[in-house]
Amino acid sequence: MLTKVLSATHFGLETIPIEVEVNVFSKGFPGFSVIGLAGKSVEEAKERVKTALANSGVDFPNKKIIVNLAPADIPKEGSAYDLPIAIGILRSMEAIPMPKEKSYFYGELSLDGTLRHTKGVLLLALSAKKQKVKNLFVPYVSANEAAVVKGINVYPVKTLNDLISHLNGVNLISPHKLVEIANKKDVFRAEFDFSEIIGQEQAKRALTIAAAGGHNVHLQGPPGAGKTMLARAMAGILPPLTEEESLEVTKIYSVTGNIPPGSSLMTKRPFRVSHHTTSRIGLIGGGSNPHPGEISLAHRGVMFLDEFPEFSRSTLEALRQPMEDGRVSITRAAGSVTYPAQFMLVAASNPCPCGYLGDEKRACTCSPRMIMRYQSKLSGPLMDRIDLHLTVAAVDTDKLMAKMPAFKSKTSKEIRGEVINARNIQKARFAKDKIIVNADMKNKHIKKYCELTGDSLLLLKQAVNTYGLSARTYFRLIKVARTIADLEGAKDIKASHVAEALQYRVRGVS
Amino acid sequence: MSIFAYPIREISLSDKDFPGRLKKIKNPPRKLYVRGNPDVLTSKTLAIVGSRRMTHYGETVIARLLPDIVSERVVTISGFMYGVDSEVHAQTIALGGQTIAVFGCGLDVVYPPENISLYEDILKTKGLVVSEYEPKARPHLWKFPQRNRIVVGLSTIGVLIIEAADKSGSLVTARLAHKEGRRVYAVPGAITSSVSGGTNELIKKGKAKLVTCSLDILGSARPKTQKQTPPADLSGNELRLWQILGQEALSLDEIAYELKDSVSNVSIAITNLSLKGLIRESAGKYYLV
Repeated sequence: MLTKVLSATHFGLETIPIEVEVNVFSKGFPGFSVIGLAGKSVEEAKERVKTALANSGVDFPNKKIIVNLAPADIPKEGSAYDLPIAIGILRSMEAIPMPKEKSYFYGELSLDGTLRHTKGVLLLALSAKKQKVKNLFVPYVSANEAAVVKGINVYPVKTLNDLISHLNGVNLISPHKLVEIANKKDVFRAEFDFSEIIGQEQAKRALTIAAAGGHNVHLQGPPGAGKTMLARAMAGILPPLTEEESLEVTKIYSVTGNIPPGSSLMTKRPFRVSHHTTSRIGLIGGGSNPHPGEISLAHRGVMFLDEFPEFSRSTLEALRQPMEDGRVSITRAAGSVTYPAQFMLVAASNPCPCGYLGDEKRACTCSPRMIMRYQSKLSGPLMDRIDLHLTVAAVDTDKLMAKMPAFKSKTSKEIRGEVINARNIQKARFAKDKIIVNADMKNKHIKKYCELTGDSLLLLKQAVNTYGLSARTYFRLIKVARTIADLEGAKDIKASHVAEALQYRVRGVS
Repeated sequence: MSIFAYPIREISLSDKDFPGRLKKIKNPPRKLYVRGNPDVLTSKTLAIVGSRRMTHYGETVIARLLPDIVSERVVTISGFMYGVDSEVHAQTIALGGQTIAVFGCGLDVVYPPENISLYEDILKTKGLVVSEYEPKARPHLWKFPQRNRIVVGLSTIGVLIIEAADKSGSLVTARLAHKEGRRVYAVPGAITSSVSGGTNELIKKGKAKLVTCSLDILGSARPKTQKQTPPADLSGNELRLWQILGQEALSLDEIAYELKDSVSNVSIAITNLSLKGLIRESAGKYYLV
């Protein structure tokens, strides 16, 4: 008897419905095969399904079984087909009736018949809504992810036996309650509070501006100046994710299996840290079945790259396009996939390989050629895409302690308040545009929202001549000035805002 | 015009054109290859050497001393290396003077390669490049101290050392200058600076004359004191910034503590002063120009 069960596969962030066709023959030699471009993990599903059924008290049919995954020309990977195959076999044995409405079955089986955490459940739920599929049978531990989507029934399934009795109408599984997105806001608890960092007032100010406007930052300074500490503390001043953003981020985390079992939406802004040995594919995304990279996992959050010039040149240059477009397109033989990558880059670097170039206390031991090679890694086009540049000097603690009392550092919480205010101003401004923060502004938005008048225009023109700024830097400066004005709550960009923004411009090698 | 458009001349020790001042040193080169204007070999000359890792201070010192030296028609000599050497050649040319570069390799080899445009400029402005090695000779580490004796030998006024770390090549030049009876001048630096240890040591041991202005080298009285008066059009904050930077170079954070003002206000003042051309930034610190 032939049975058709609905399930789905993911290609990038797109979900494609898959029909799992199961036929249990009444004649022929016993056997079990899966066709339809099944990958290794799907091939192994045979053994899992067989054992899980046996351990659930089902007498596995000693007959010829063919499973076809249609459409047959799309390669299929992953363990989510375990459940639909098992259901198909049970139905073919006439052990269960099928639900009347269209239903998705999705999930990995354990050998004892329980269902395991499976990635991509949120995407499945979104697709169910689009395809007008009423019911969703997913593993209990992953059901939270699907429960944020309205208008579908999500059935959290603990074991195969539970599902069999549910379908037979014996012990019904109650649908999962809808998880409200709005009341699940949470902020990232950073390792350090800004008030714990002594001195570095300029750096703190720069990071505040960056967080407020979503700008990229480059911190340069000798070892021990506190670059890494500052960057890590930044996680604590980021505003919480909005509903829309949260859904975008969760999609990526869901498809990569980065959501811990039992949790639903991502509510914290991602803060991703990559070590400089990270491969290009690891950072940008790729693979034969294109997988999102770190920059997509940092979507709507922060991507922190420490020891920036130590990354391989091809990795760094590959960052350029996604930084400009806010998304990354990966094209492989299997097809082309686009992942969002609207991230804030925080890059940290030393001034030279030994780190002490220009330091007062220690002499630099690098040869001029080494310094040149090191600094040339930070190519002009790449630096041009970073809005805020600053030098972080090593803090002379004795000197600072003496002067500290006059200065009270703001706490991360206070700064976060300022950042949220500035973000709200931006939200209101960009209500009709498809952008969220100042850093996302394209030239047409700059024309519309960042009109410079008299003084401020004059100052900027003067700076362009004096410092020889590129056209791209020119527009970046305006964006930063806009954010500074937003932090102040000012409607127009004043000369003072431009003047402060100029302190964070990219500088030549000194 | 390419450097190769200028011919290389060979002058041997027995030639009458061989500079007499160089003949007298202990171990004169047997042959000298020159490219450019050989007349400068008979001019009044001052060798100026220093660290490859020149700081902003070194640059400022050169900018302050050179105008008087060049206007006295003194030809500068240096070693064509990075840092102080290149700065001396470049600034002399910018001031309309002539300069001699002594190579540690052949004259057809440009080392360091990034100095190619400087090489052309030296020739264009009737300067001279000199080497004792065959035109195609490669640069080697041992050739550079060797070349220093020519730097010393060609100088008539003496050798001025701008910035030198402990045990640096510039100290080798100073020792050679002593042996050959040339005067040694040194510019003192901050005792905390890693590239002033050598010069300060020379002064301390009495091996070099301390130089604070061009008069110390040129001798003749040229009254020219620079009195610092603040420019008229500064706002209150800018004026205070200008005053504290006159005492020492500071980072933005330090300025903010000093002025007890916010980083954002200080940034604004700094941008304004910098656009007026009054201050400059280097390695995160701000200086009065």
